[in-house]
Amino acid sequence: MLAKLPVDVLAAQQGTELAAGQVPRRVGRPRAPGAEPTLDGGQRLQVIDTLACVIEGAYCHLPQKRAGYAVDPVQALQLLRRRCVDMTDGEFHLAVTGLVTGLRDAHTRYRGPATVRGSVAALPFLIECYGRDQQPTFLVSKLAANSGIRKKTFVPGVELLHWNGIPFARAVDIYAKRETGGRPDARRARALESFTFRALDYGPPPDEQWVIVGYRTLDGDDDEVRVPWRRIMPGAAGTAVQPSSGVRLKVAADPAREAVRRAKKLMFAPALWQADQARTAAPAGDWLPTEMQDTIAARLISTRRGELGYLRIWSFDVDDHEAFIAEAIRLLAQLPDRGLIIDLRGNPGGLIWAAERLLQLFTPNTIVPTRFALLASPLTRAMAASPFNRLELEAWTASLENAIATGELYSQPLPLTEPDWCNDIGQRYTGPVLAVADSNTYSSGDLFAAGFLDNRIGPLVTVGQATGAGGANVWSDRLLRDALTGTPYAFAPLPAGVGFTLAIRRAIRSGPADGIPIEDTGIPGIRYAITRRDLLEGNCDLHDFCADLLAGQQT
Amino acid sequence: MALVIAGRVVPLASDPAVAADTSASFRGRVWIGDDGMIAAVTRSRQAGPAGFEAAPVVDVGTSLVLPGLIDLHNHLAYNTLPLWSEPTQQAPFAHHDSWTRARSYAASVTWPAHAFVTAAPQELLAYAETKAIVGGTTSVQGSPPKNRPRDGWLVRNVEDETWGTRNRNLVYASTLTMTPTALAERANRMRAGSLFMYHCAEGQPGTVAAAEFRDAVAAGCLQQLFVAIHCNAVDSGAFAQWTERGAVVWSPLSNLWLYGTTTDVPAARDARLPICLGSDWAPSGSKNVLGELKVARIVADHHGWALADAQLVEMVTANPGDVLARSWGRQTGRLQPYAAGDVTVIRAASGADPFATVVKATERDVQLVVVNGKARYGTPALMRRSSAQPVTDLTVAGQRRVLSLTRPDDPAQAWPWEEILARLEQVRADPKREIELGLARLAAYSGPFDDPGSPLRLALDMPTGIAPVGGLPKDLTQIRIPALDSLTHDEAFLASLVGRGWHGGVLHKLADYYR
Repeated sequence: MLAKLPVDVLAAQQGTELAAGQVPRRVGRPRAPGAEPTLDGGQRLQVIDTLACVIEGAYCHLPQKRAGYAVDPVQALQLLRRRCVDMTDGEFHLAVTGLVTGLRDAHTRYRGPATVRGSVAALPFLIECYGRDQQPTFLVSKLAANSGIRKKTFVPGVELLHWNGIPFARAVDIYAKRETGGRPDARRARALESFTFRALDYGPPPDEQWVIVGYRTLDGDDDEVRVPWRRIMPGAAGTAVQPSSGVRLKVAADPAREAVRRAKKLMFAPALWQADQARTAAPAGDWLPTEMQDTIAARLISTRRGELGYLRIWSFDVDDHEAFIAEAIRLLAQLPDRGLIIDLRGNPGGLIWAAERLLQLFTPNTIVPTRFALLASPLTRAMAASPFNRLELEAWTASLENAIATGELYSQPLPLTEPDWCNDIGQRYTGPVLAVADSNTYSSGDLFAAGFLDNRIGPLVTVGQATGAGGANVWSDRLLRDALTGTPYAFAPLPAGVGFTLAIRRAIRSGPADGIPIEDTGIPGIRYAITRRDLLEGNCDLHDFCADLLAGQQT
Repeated sequence: MALVIAGRVVPLASDPAVAADTSASFRGRVWIGDDGMIAAVTRSRQAGPAGFEAAPVVDVGTSLVLPGLIDLHNHLAYNTLPLWSEPTQQAPFAHHDSWTRARSYAASVTWPAHAFVTAAPQELLAYAETKAIVGGTTSVQGSPPKNRPRDGWLVRNVEDETWGTRNRNLVYASTLTMTPTALAERANRMRAGSLFMYHCAEGQPGTVAAAEFRDAVAAGCLQQLFVAIHCNAVDSGAFAQWTERGAVVWSPLSNLWLYGTTTDVPAARDARLPICLGSDWAPSGSKNVLGELKVARIVADHHGWALADAQLVEMVTANPGDVLARSWGRQTGRLQPYAAGDVTVIRAASGADPFATVVKATERDVQLVVVNGKARYGTPALMRRSSAQPVTDLTVAGQRRVLSLTRPDDPAQAWPWEEILARLEQVRADPKREIELGLARLAAYSGPFDDPGSPLRLALDMPTGIAPVGGLPKDLTQIRIPALDSLTHDEAFLASLVGRGWHGGVLHKLADYYR
């Protein structure tokens, strides 16, 4: 039976079946002339030459990726250049996507043709795992109310056994090879997170048009269900960073993961998804009402140590950091000061200012923000010297010039958040605090976790080995094109709406970890393994674990 | 369309067929052809060249017909702002890196200028060029860097003027100090024919700023195509090294305002370097080069320098015109055949000394300004006689004037002056909103940025100052934009000179010309 939802939300949830739509098949011959944009040989060369130029000259992790993964993306692009004219369009996009994904950097993405812009291929259920890394158990943790799946035994809690006939753990590992992530555990976590939600802007659509899912029912029987992939358009929240915003150059986020996060919200919390569009505070169980529910939420939780405050930061994707901080202060004032859990799991990042300024609310310490460095190259020197970028990059200019003589690979690292702004409000929550992150806590989420430790605010608990390890400020191709205007590296708009995002300024930790990069390593914390009860009973074991740590902090 | 201007011609010509020397003036006519170039300059009722039978003849009576004035040092993007001074400063600034570190600089200068360049770039340039033209200016240096080619609108923008060649490399300029290597690269550009205008050694003598001139020497910049702006920190003997003479640009008001000292003009002249004048920018300069002429007179008299009025007038006409011609391949600043049809008409009494008249002239005396043979600004009567179309009205120093300003997107349509003012006031009223809307307009454009149809994008050419990383306040509502600086040297401007800056009262005498 369908849940009662407005027609437009239902339509958004349903989307269209991937098999019926016009989604470009990125592999294989075009189905019909004009069915999808195709790039001619000259346009493919333009894409390759542009990518080679900016990856060599502006990609801030290039030395690290060359060393860490023994890859040379620039040479790979040159090789692709020699054969790209003979490829099908699908083969070309897939080759470029694979090459860029091989950098294992969720900031740095190849964005395919405009026909798929904003869409996510989705299955109406969420898969999560619990147990040890080496022996995980996969289960369906959420099922959309309007899933359309008729099998009554396919419900939250069923254990997954097979995926199109492949043992499930193996299927995840195969898919993980297509995913970003510096560490194997991070890749697997990302693969699992996007296993049933694929952001089509940044990767190919699923190979299959439907899946056959083998599962063990709650009664212990084995069963199968066939579920078609659907294409949905989750959109962005009204509070998200706008393309023309004054803060658009201060973003650290995984755009694909943000799209997936929004898609999950549409599927599993459609009322909140709708409220995001209207920028209203929708009632949501025992959560405190907030108009910024897309990014932040708070409530009381019961633990074996009593009631604690719980602050969930879903994302830092906000255009107005002042409003975000003000809302956090308002919510914190309604929580008890016995202890606070700040949950950053799955946070794909967003506005750096929002993440770094938030830290001050939880500590009397002076916050030292993360610093960011540009790759020292002729391109970045020309970019920093351009009068169009003086406001943004003037502070980096001298060290970029000096690098010619010193041989430094990077400019001087400087904060993107003014230190004064990180300390302009002061502590607003005086009780003990603890942060929880996981391998899908990324980018500005990484920055918050790093700042939480490096400024000695409290302990960090990590599900998985560490946070997701996205250590950079990321720009879109549009922002980079804008910044290179008037320089010898200026490039034309790419054809068919093709684009990219690029890690442009590399994040360096402060405090006791001063100088350590975040990319690929992430922020390790106190390890915690998710339990079955966590997945099916509202993270109750995790909350108890955190409550014990907070109790220890108090003593 | 051809145009003939009759009056008391002060040609400042180097062509002996026009006048024996630059001090000459005579009753005559300037014949400007359809191509915007001067076809002939004739005396009295001497016959003119063929092809002007249908051309309107604008007789300005006893008024002076001069080459259009040239302002060789400005920063147009900042010319909506008032004079700036740092309240906490206890002594004159040492050099150009000192005042940019002042506490109030970014908020007073960079941020409001940023709001205008981002939110209303077309209106900003229209306002700044109007401010120049009401002072008789026909060419101005200091056009802000921009994303796409744009030849001058009302007046010629020195860096942008291509004379139809599409060659964007005729003139290079740098406000910021360059490294020795970058200077050497510019030296080679000059050897290839480009002009290079460089803010050089701006500061008090004996400060580190003097090294900038030494760097220019070592780089090989001392060429005929080198224009050194300021040079007030340069040791007087150093000018003698510049044997392939370029030019020095003098901005006395700005120098006195910031440093209390100015360029050693006699020393530069002793080295036979041509001197040009520049009004500099509104935060530390005069409103236009006609005003700067008076400051030059005051400062020369104050120091006892032997500078005749005729020599001062050459600093805004023939001298800059000659140095620009080395790169442009077109003469400005002189009225003679094959020179550009850029003309400024200044009211004069019959028989008055023409050069003293120009030095004393104010915005009220500017009767007509013609650029490239087209009447762009003037009294309603002269603009009508010049067949100027389309036009908009404005009031300058209490007098009615007419401006031939066209819409950026439609050169056939007049752009009402009130509309420009209204737009700039809109930005002043809510800078945050307007900056964001300006950014949104840019973001909405997906084509190449250098396409002629792309949205105009300007950059600030002066240092940012001490500001948060990113150059702007955390909250854009903190940006405060002062009232638009008036077009003329009015009472408010004259009052703002008193008790501020480091001129020691010397500039108080400027009021004698305007009150």
